[in-house]
Amino acid sequence: MSTTARRAPLPAATRRRRPFNARRAGAWALLVLAIAVSVLPFLWVLRTALSTNNALASNATSLLPAEFTLGAFKRVFGLQSPAEAVAEGGSGAAIDFWLYLRNSIIFSSITTAGAVFFSAMAAYAFSRLRWKGRNAVFSLFLGTMLVPPIFTALPNFLLIKNLDLLNTMLGLVLPYVFMTPFAIFFLRQFFLNMSREVEEAAMLDGAKHLRIFFQIVLPNAAAPIATLALLTFIGQWNEYFWPLLVASQDDVRVLQVGLGVFKSQSPQGAPDWSGLMAATLISALPVLILFAAFGKKIVNSIGFSGIK
Amino acid sequence: MKKSLGAVAVAAAMALSLSACSGSSSSEESATGEISYWLWDANQLPAYQQCADDFAQANPDITVKITQRGWDDYWSTLTNGFVGGTAPDVFTNHLGRYGELAENKQLLAIDEAVEKDNIDLSAYNEGLADLWVGQDGKRYGLPKDWDTIGLFYNKAMLSSAGITEDQMKDLTWNPEDGGSYEKVIAHLTVDKNGKRGDEPGFDKNNVDVYGLGLNGGGDSSGQTEWSYLTNTTGWSHTDKNPWGTTYNYDDPKFQESMDWFAGLADKGYMPKLETTVGASMADTFAAGKSAINAHGSWMIGQYTGYKGIEVGIAPTPVGPEGERASMFNGLADSIWAGTEKKDAAIKWVEYLASADCQDVVASQAVVFPALKASSDKAAVAFQAKGVDVTAFTEHVKNKTTFLYPITDNTAKVKGIMEPAMDAVVSGKAPASSLTQANEQVNALFK
Amino acid sequence: MTTLAKHSRSASAASASPKPQGSHRRLGDLKIALLFIAPAMIGFVFFYVLPTVRGIYLSFTEYNILGDPEWVGMDNYVAIAADPLFWNSLAVTGQYVFLNILLQTALALGLALLMHNVAKSTIIRGTLLLPYLMSNVIAALLWFWMLDYQIGVVNQFIEWSGLPRVAFFGSEAWAIPTQALINTWRHMGYTALLIFAGLQAIPSHVYEVAKLDGASAFQTFRKITIPLLRPVLVLVLVVTVIGSFQVFDTVAVTTAGGPVNATRVIQYYIYQRAFTESDFGYGSAIAVILFLILALVAFIQMKFLKGNESDLD
Repeated sequence: MSTTARRAPLPAATRRRRPFNARRAGAWALLVLAIAVSVLPFLWVLRTALSTNNALASNATSLLPAEFTLGAFKRVFGLQSPAEAVAEGGSGAAIDFWLYLRNSIIFSSITTAGAVFFSAMAAYAFSRLRWKGRNAVFSLFLGTMLVPPIFTALPNFLLIKNLDLLNTMLGLVLPYVFMTPFAIFFLRQFFLNMSREVEEAAMLDGAKHLRIFFQIVLPNAAAPIATLALLTFIGQWNEYFWPLLVASQDDVRVLQVGLGVFKSQSPQGAPDWSGLMAATLISALPVLILFAAFGKKIVNSIGFSGIK
Repeated sequence: MKKSLGAVAVAAAMALSLSACSGSSSSEESATGEISYWLWDANQLPAYQQCADDFAQANPDITVKITQRGWDDYWSTLTNGFVGGTAPDVFTNHLGRYGELAENKQLLAIDEAVEKDNIDLSAYNEGLADLWVGQDGKRYGLPKDWDTIGLFYNKAMLSSAGITEDQMKDLTWNPEDGGSYEKVIAHLTVDKNGKRGDEPGFDKNNVDVYGLGLNGGGDSSGQTEWSYLTNTTGWSHTDKNPWGTTYNYDDPKFQESMDWFAGLADKGYMPKLETTVGASMADTFAAGKSAINAHGSWMIGQYTGYKGIEVGIAPTPVGPEGERASMFNGLADSIWAGTEKKDAAIKWVEYLASADCQDVVASQAVVFPALKASSDKAAVAFQAKGVDVTAFTEHVKNKTTFLYPITDNTAKVKGIMEPAMDAVVSGKAPASSLTQANEQVNALFK
Repeated sequence: MTTLAKHSRSASAASASPKPQGSHRRLGDLKIALLFIAPAMIGFVFFYVLPTVRGIYLSFTEYNILGDPEWVGMDNYVAIAADPLFWNSLAVTGQYVFLNILLQTALALGLALLMHNVAKSTIIRGTLLLPYLMSNVIAALLWFWMLDYQIGVVNQFIEWSGLPRVAFFGSEAWAIPTQALINTWRHMGYTALLIFAGLQAIPSHVYEVAKLDGASAFQTFRKITIPLLRPVLVLVLVVTVIGSFQVFDTVAVTTAGGPVNATRVIQYYIYQRAFTESDFGYGSAIAVILFLILALVAFIQMKFLKGNESDLD
């Protein structure tokens, strides 16, 4: 481990001395382009969120906010009366932002923690342990990734109903908390790549599998696990269909469903664009903060995850 | 803990596979407690909240919990509610959906109560109450509101084209040359060089403002798209309404009308269908891309709410048979068959259908309530907001409405007609191609 | 099976070196393995296997969700074979998958290499991940609006630059590429991050050796990066291929299958039949067929890409 840490900076240092400046400039240009494509739509989102909704259409292509207002953000936080909202062309529907936020945090955290941990355990069994039928069982698990989600939504809904867990956090969380096929697949691929030497050395010392898993595999895979956890969290945070089915009542409604009130409310109607865009920004904020907080860690730990 | 949970799940799953799903039919009937009510239009929420508060005051042992859920998610969530047993006791129902719900026994028939409580069905605008009697002759809802079609126009564009608002009130239309309606549309169309649609040198491929906006192909009903034209020729969607069993998309009269309609896009007077997939037609109108939009009365608030644009509303044109025509669509409140609070639910539905509540709705000037007297009050309330809604109410007064086509299989009919109509309106297929789609549709009823 | 054989081969190769006792002990890990997969197994059985079995059963029935399922044997499958919309949905989905994979994988690989070699900054990585923070539905709605022919800001820019406006969603030629572009936009940074993580895991000494041998950048990429990246690339490919086959959200909130049938992708067609038209049996049968297709595709991918092996052994 310590040798890897010492070795890692070397190639970067040698690369920096490379003479290919034109190539580097080209690479940077591509990178800037990719960043522009990623970011520009968000500027449009911000511009729209700061606009008065019923002034948007007549300023459809103005790059600045149409009749600047913070009304849309107030709407998202539920600080605007229906009358004020309607006067700005926004949705007059009631939302309880902080409650939805709390529900979203609980839902995403529990499912992420559970799914990543249990999937890591399973991935360990599928990659580092040798047992009869291992690959067959793994193929079956992998096969679940192939099942169209639409296909399982209704039976799962009925199952939750029969467990009498509709409109409860437990019912919301259950299908995700034990595993996701992607997480198992993802971690298994990383575990496969892990050096056997460290592990085998530990085996000789008489270490048990649980200890190997917790003390060697998990720390060594910190980077992929952190990456996976972040990606899973984002996925869960944006989950819409299942919470819509199972948690329709206010006390368990998550943010993505709650903020749906800014979409078109009547047939052939237009959405409350300002409200929807403000909601998009605000609902992305927690994930953004999470990334800002742990992103650096992910980068650093990747350097140290020293595989061989 | 995990183990016991697993055991429960096994048991539940087995129960599930043995008996698919048994709707909760048992119900202790009582007129107390909390009942749940769903609606989709957020703009109407304040009015109905008011109704619920008034109702609770008059019936201290019943409370109403209102949930508003947008149109996009409304029906899927509702269906899941029926399956999962979490459906609301009472909900806003749509003509396009209720046939299937009634057939699947999800709706509670309320004939007895209506008779017992002496609900005067003739107090509603004509035809609205009959819509909610199913094929089995039972009543599945009491009318709450209605909508018709009108022409929203951009006042500034009209005056710069030299067309008066009075002219807009006397438009005529026929499928051969489009009548004065087409002339006005052509004149309101302006290309990038400022040439109008009826001037020589008009560039139909570079249009700046279209005379008429387009919402879409209109699928099976053409509610806001073309039915206000096609149904002035004596054509109607089905052999009888409600509960027709034959659709008439193969009628040459209808196909002639559709060819004319699709021709508008070809002439450059209406946007091509492919360019309308994206922003809503109302937003496009507000952005100054079209001068006239045919749209429903439930969109009044949307159109008049835009900033920087003056909107007028004209009645739809008079057709070859000397009459205007507008689809007459109505909503109702229905009770879920699985409710455990039947009596309270009935009370609430009757209250929603009463003058007490419909007057409250009228005062908000969002939609037209179903009761005649309340409709008039709504018109006054709109007037007070500075919106003249006679274009919509006139249809009802002059009895130039026809009902939204109610049949079985509405979802499947829509599934077939949507691509077929898109092909016609986009000019990719002639209207005669609808004959084949019509055969497919009618085969559903055999 | 072949993968199993390969594994034991690589295991024996590994154990051929100093300590043979290690591998002996490993062959009997069944008990401990069961313990490790137990929690995942619960989720697997109850939320994947059971609903799938139920769905397969329903595919042999006529079932409108609200009533009771009625056994009809192979009727649904026979009807599907003769359903032009089903075949159309397959073709349309195929187009989408091809375009999406091509765009997404190529761009993501390029981005990951750039991140790895040019800019290891967290901020850049975070920026590229921004689109993924937006939910599918919202991203689709946003682009639906920005790409509108008449009032969309993108078309305004296109016109300003002197090009003709494009009916992104409305023209049959553009409808599917547009869907692919939106999904690529949202997933590009995500996929790049996965590949980037894989790149980071390649031991640096391998590159040093290559450098000492005087390998060119391209040679290094072809001979070292790609082979060593294979497990991750396979993961990315399998996941994006499967994900692409299941495209639904963006279509549902934008074109809803149109224009005419140009974007009636298979998953949307299932939804339409099962939920909109309340023909759950028919929808389930299409879903079963989709499942079989996906299984075949995944099998072929794993076989040809040898995703189970790592070249590090």
